[in-house]
Amino acid sequence: MAIKIKPILVLGITCGISSFLLTRVYQWTGEKIERQKEKALQEALSYVLPSAVRFEKVDTSLFFGYNERGEKVGLVFSSAPRGYAGPILIICGLGIDGRITGIRIASPAEGFKETPGLGSKVREKDFLSQFLGKEKEKIRLKREGGEISAITAATISSKAVCEGIRKGVERYERLLR
Amino acid sequence: MKKLSRLSYLWNGIILENPILILMIGLCPTLATSLSARDGLGMGIAASFVIIGSNIIVSLVRRVVPENVRIPVFIIIISTFVTIVDYTLQAYFPELYRVLGVFVPLIVVNCIVLGRAEAFAYRHGVIDSFLDGLGKSLGFTLVIFLMGLIREFLAQGTFFGKSLGLSFLEKQGILFMLFPPGGFLLIGLLKALVNKYIKRE
Repeated sequence: MAIKIKPILVLGITCGISSFLLTRVYQWTGEKIERQKEKALQEALSYVLPSAVRFEKVDTSLFFGYNERGEKVGLVFSSAPRGYAGPILIICGLGIDGRITGIRIASPAEGFKETPGLGSKVREKDFLSQFLGKEKEKIRLKREGGEISAITAATISSKAVCEGIRKGVERYERLLR
Repeated sequence: MKKLSRLSYLWNGIILENPILILMIGLCPTLATSLSARDGLGMGIAASFVIIGSNIIVSLVRRVVPENVRIPVFIIIISTFVTIVDYTLQAYFPELYRVLGVFVPLIVVNCIVLGRAEAFAYRHGVIDSFLDGLGKSLGFTLVIFLMGLIREFLAQGTFFGKSLGLSFLEKQGILFMLFPPGGFLLIGLLKALVNKYIKRE
């Protein structure tokens, strides 16, 4: 029985030190990380629904927005339609009149996988500004009778964004009243 | 003489032992994250932290770690390092994290890190290991940044996301360069250039 004790000890101690360090680092940073995430969420919410100053979480994909007087001014929903290479994460603001107030699409760092240079253009202002102020019937590609111009060579991504937003509006607009 | 050879550890990493172009390791993250100049530079900087840090620590503990458990010990050291970098960036540099965040977990699988720990730091002193890590990091960062710059320019006609006024490239860029075959082609071309330079030396 020639089991060497040293390798076991070294490995065990290494794991121990590593766990200790990571626990400490997590204790130092965990709270700050949560706060940064909360801040990023608030920023995204006020970006897509600028008229609201306070948001109330309904569930993970739905927030109501209120102004200073506590009146409901709209809602923010998230949606993840299937694009060309994966889900496209969309956060969309809906005014109390049922019109789109703002859209933000997750960046490649947040899981956006559409083809760079083609499908990735759905994140750009030129494309997204078409949706602002529109009612749900008009949120379709032009070839399908709507008012949204698709991005050249990226019809699938363009269509996915339209569908995701339109379906979200259809699903949540009744909650505005 | 001793000083000169020490500096060569640093210098070698940039051209003569460039991790990507000569040692041909770490190609996966290189292809995946050199789509734009900003991404390339970001990945380079994030990986450099870990390469240099893990080289120093592996070198410090090299006398206590027995041969037969060295690889698991290296992996634990590297992944601890990566996790600390990840948490720190998230908590204190959220802006930077938004750019680098996606690359940080990828560093664990970057074989340059383990490669240097195994091939160099386990057998050399702390200062030499630091210089070696710095050199290899510079070599890696330089190449991945250059590739990002070239691929971004050819495919989208931009420089760090800024328009250069070349509307023909912006409208009809060579999108092929953004796909893995384009990346491989570019690595090949850069390698040819470096080989030519080395031969002339």
